[in-house]
Amino acid sequence: MFYFEDVVVGEPVETPALTLTEAHMVRYAGLAGEWEPRSTDEVVSRRSESGGRVIPDLLPLCISSGLGWRVPKSPLAVLAFMGFEWKFSLPLRIGDTIRSRSRTVAKRSMKDGGVVVEEREILNQRGEVVQSGRLTLLVAKRPRK
Amino acid sequence: MPGEDRRYFDEIQVGEEYVSPGRTVTEADIVIFAGLSGDYNVLHTDAEFMKGSVFGERIAHGLLGLAIQSGLLTRGMRPFATIAFLGLRWKFKGPIKIGDTITVRAKVLEKRETSKPDRGIITLQRQVLNQKGEVVQEGETDVMVERRPR
Repeated sequence: MFYFEDVVVGEPVETPALTLTEAHMVRYAGLAGEWEPRSTDEVVSRRSESGGRVIPDLLPLCISSGLGWRVPKSPLAVLAFMGFEWKFSLPLRIGDTIRSRSRTVAKRSMKDGGVVVEEREILNQRGEVVQSGRLTLLVAKRPRK
Repeated sequence: MPGEDRRYFDEIQVGEEYVSPGRTVTEADIVIFAGLSGDYNVLHTDAEFMKGSVFGERIAHGLLGLAIQSGLLTRGMRPFATIAFLGLRWKFKGPIKIGDTITVRAKVLEKRETSKPDRGIITLQRQVLNQKGEVVQEGETDVMVERRPR
């Protein structure tokens, strides 16, 4: 386990990449129960600015948290996800490949655990930042022996 | 975009409120979300480990709650003529446990014109409540909405 004490401020972490498929999109729509025409209606979305279905905006964010766990290091002892601020800059389409880049920008010790603030960017295959923001996590301290 | 039912920026009033139906969050939701996101953190997937945690059991991913509320609210309001989702500010205030039933309450907080005359920004304040009336998540979402074509 990677505890609060092990978190280094400023150290960049880059995740493996993942190609977004139609299957991701359909599964997400079913799970969330969200059928925005922008993501589920090819006829309507083709006539719009996007020129076709776009990936539901929250899906890449969800996938970025999974990608984070695939970085080869011991898992962070997360006690709770406290909150975040997030910006959507560019749409993603089926076939786009995303990865995420993050670094800890602040850590604050508390009585039980500590707060870690992470800056995260999601990049597409061209290296463009498509989504970005700041996440706040509560992380466990190393148990005393 | 077609769809006569969609509401334009001009028609949406600050202070409007919406309430979603309820939805019971199940173990299956968590399993599917873990598979889709790749987030298999013990908080959501290891029942034995979680017996010893402050929660006492597995909890739903925070982002699963966020995704579900997003879909849930679409069932409680007429859709906006949304061009894009711009961003959000969000707080996870309490756990969503297997079997909890959540509802979403939302309110139009702000309308802002943009430099482009054919669209505006709407900020919605949202609260996700469990069956006990406790706010488990809350925040604000910003969407870009079309103005009525002239």
